[in-house]
Amino acid sequence: MENHLLEMKGADVFYGDAQAVWDVSLYVDEGTIVALLGANGAGKTTLLKTISGIIHPKKGEILFSKRSLAHLRPQEVVDIGISHVPEGRRLFSQLTVLDNLRLGAYPPRARSRFAQSLERAYSLFPVLEARTGQKAGSLSGGEQQMLAIARALMAHPDLLMLDEPSLGLSPIFVRTIFELIKTLNNQKVTILLVEQNIHQALKIAHQAYVLKTGKITMNGSGDELLANQEIQKAYIGERWRNT
Amino acid sequence: MLEYLTFGLVLQLLVNGILFGTMYGIAAIGLSLIYGTMRIIFLAHGAIIVFFAYICYWLFTLLHIDPYLSLILVIPASLLLGSGFYAGLFKEAAALEDKNISLLIAVGLMYLVEQLMLVVWKANPRSISTIYTAIVFRPLGINIPFTRLIALVMAVLSAFGVLFFLKKTLIGTAVRAASEDMESATLMGINPHWVNVVAFAIGIGLGGIAGVGLATVYSFDPGYGFIFAIKALIALAFGGMGNVFGALLGGILLGLLESLSSFFIGAGWADAITYGVFLLVLTFRPQGLFGGST
Amino acid sequence: MKDKSSIILAVLVLMAFVAIPFLIDVDTSYIGFFLFLSFCYIIISQGWNLVAGYTGQISLCQNAFFGLGAYTTALIWLHDITKTGYYFDPVVMAISGLVPVILAILIGLPLLSRLRGDYFALGTLGVQFIIQVVFLKGGDFTRGADGLHLPSTVFTSMKPYYWAGLFLALFATAVIYFITRSRIGLALRAIMEDEISAAAHGIHVLKYKIFAFAVGAFLAGISGSLFAYYLFHINPDSVLNLNWLFYPILICVLGGNGTIVGPIIGSFFITALFSLGIVYMAQTHPIVSGVLIILVMKFMPTGLIGLKDKILSRG
Repeated sequence: MENHLLEMKGADVFYGDAQAVWDVSLYVDEGTIVALLGANGAGKTTLLKTISGIIHPKKGEILFSKRSLAHLRPQEVVDIGISHVPEGRRLFSQLTVLDNLRLGAYPPRARSRFAQSLERAYSLFPVLEARTGQKAGSLSGGEQQMLAIARALMAHPDLLMLDEPSLGLSPIFVRTIFELIKTLNNQKVTILLVEQNIHQALKIAHQAYVLKTGKITMNGSGDELLANQEIQKAYIGERWRNT
Repeated sequence: MLEYLTFGLVLQLLVNGILFGTMYGIAAIGLSLIYGTMRIIFLAHGAIIVFFAYICYWLFTLLHIDPYLSLILVIPASLLLGSGFYAGLFKEAAALEDKNISLLIAVGLMYLVEQLMLVVWKANPRSISTIYTAIVFRPLGINIPFTRLIALVMAVLSAFGVLFFLKKTLIGTAVRAASEDMESATLMGINPHWVNVVAFAIGIGLGGIAGVGLATVYSFDPGYGFIFAIKALIALAFGGMGNVFGALLGGILLGLLESLSSFFIGAGWADAITYGVFLLVLTFRPQGLFGGST
Repeated sequence: MKDKSSIILAVLVLMAFVAIPFLIDVDTSYIGFFLFLSFCYIIISQGWNLVAGYTGQISLCQNAFFGLGAYTTALIWLHDITKTGYYFDPVVMAISGLVPVILAILIGLPLLSRLRGDYFALGTLGVQFIIQVVFLKGGDFTRGADGLHLPSTVFTSMKPYYWAGLFLALFATAVIYFITRSRIGLALRAIMEDEISAAAHGIHVLKYKIFAFAVGAFLAGISGSLFAYYLFHINPDSVLNLNWLFYPILICVLGGNGTIVGPIIGSFFITALFSLGIVYMAQTHPIVSGVLIILVMKFMPTGLIGLKDKILSRG
């Protein structure tokens, strides 16, 4: 029997009466980077929300270290070790950088380690230390993304989920973010990454899943998918569009 | 009439406005906390404030407890009542999409409390007179009643207290975060119910303080509750949601508006002007007069 | 949605209502007044239903529209303006419905174009208070707190009230029915779901919002006019009463928000409840109202129709 950190089996997720996700099964192994790819509206964000407890699956199982997540509230999910950086960051723009970080360490598991976590955050992201008293809303896009990730790390998660971290960022920042993800992974952080930036995501991912209109259509290692014809068509199109 | 207009008179009007306005201010801060986290327009707030005024009155006439001393009892009681309201009445409703339901519960509560007060204390206005309620300071010929001054001090102290709580404590910061984005706050591990209970409790707690202030300053009757709630809402609109000192200033502005227009135009039309300004502010500056833009 | 059995049911119910004055003496029986009051509530509630249940705007000034309708009727009658007879005069009632429409458009333009959700609700609350002041301070025209007195000698029987009430309740329901089934209704619902998306699809959001708001005002005004004929003594206390503000909301939520039948069921239920309260528990009745509202909202937020669905789905 395989031992996955996170395991989703046969999940059906609905928004009211509308089904968004059909029979999705995926797993994330400890210490790896898993990428979840797909077009807009494919259901990637829905899956993350289901894992973090904002939505609950109508059918299927979600296990984290063998423990079921199906009925947990978001605040409980954070406390067992999963941090979710939502799409668009969703920082508390009226609060300072420091306040945002402080709230990141809100769950009991993280509160006692606040000082160390803060140190670590500042060393990973020196710009945040420089701007610690500023309102989060006044930071640039790239800085906000860094704050969002730093904030999530304050909770000392076993699994870090990132929803489109490169969205809306300049190419330099995009590269910085992906390097950051690699660095975090080297520091033993398990990462579930939702991305539209196929090429970059697959380069750093150990495993990847492709989601299309709520169903998993492809999965394999990062390298396998990079070599895949269909994927190549998709990201060559992307590169053409970006030139 | 304008022949009697002197600088002293205008100053007196301004002072009256400021002094009374701070009471609207405390009520507005309470409303702001409740609306910020739960998006509930708590129309029952005024009735609750009048209720605490009656409690203060009872404590004074039956047990001879000085109104200001009664705060020792009133504040914990109001904090408890606020938690109770949330747990008993608003907990499920706050999570619902349909905000009508919370609104109606607040209205139901308002009817309930108002009628309860009517039955227990009857409709005739009450007021409290102690040794000091008659004291009036007269700096520069301006009348400043002692009790109104104390009410102002209470209001300002409360505002500072709430601000300290919001900015410096972890739960307070959580309340601010939840007011901005509740879903994001839950992703931080913040339990929405905790945040809501705290906001509600403090909101009603401020209502208790306002009630004591009201009891010492004015005569009151059960029907006053609804109007007071509306005035608090107007003060909140002036100040901008989520802005503690803004709410206080909004109350003061409202007090000034009322005081001046009552004198120059007459009590009835003064109301029309107040509501008119309210509408203008809502329409053209919904983020409030003192806040930054949202 | 109205399939054959629903239509048959509706016709039967209508026939029952038509039959009532022939079976019961509406003049002496309390049921006459009860039904009349229910009809008044149906009319104003259907109006609110359109604005809030179908377009998603919570309006808190229907009592102002109601009061305007009542005062308009009274003023036209007292000042002999249209010279058309007055007692249950359709012309007067129509005008009483149109005056609130003018106000609705006047305030709707600034408020609806700039304010969303709760802020809009607050704005309408403010408007409602301004109207109150206007009536109190209207000098000789509106006679302040005492208000206007209509010649009550014309009252001979409850029957015309019953018929007028039934007809107008039917009219109000029909208006809402046809609007919501039309393309306008589709647009309103789109606006309620997602305003931005609706605008992106070419729907002129402001126009439709004002339309709904105006129709709601019209119905409230007509209800006010109808009620004025019963009351004869029109003053702020009786026609600008908060009950005319909050009961329609309660009725719609209780009966089922965004349904045609909801306001009808809700009106009868609420009027019955509170009538019983007045009759049997006069002293404590308002306390009971408050408790009732709270209990209903806590345990039946989907309303009576939701309850019916729940019961049916179990069987």
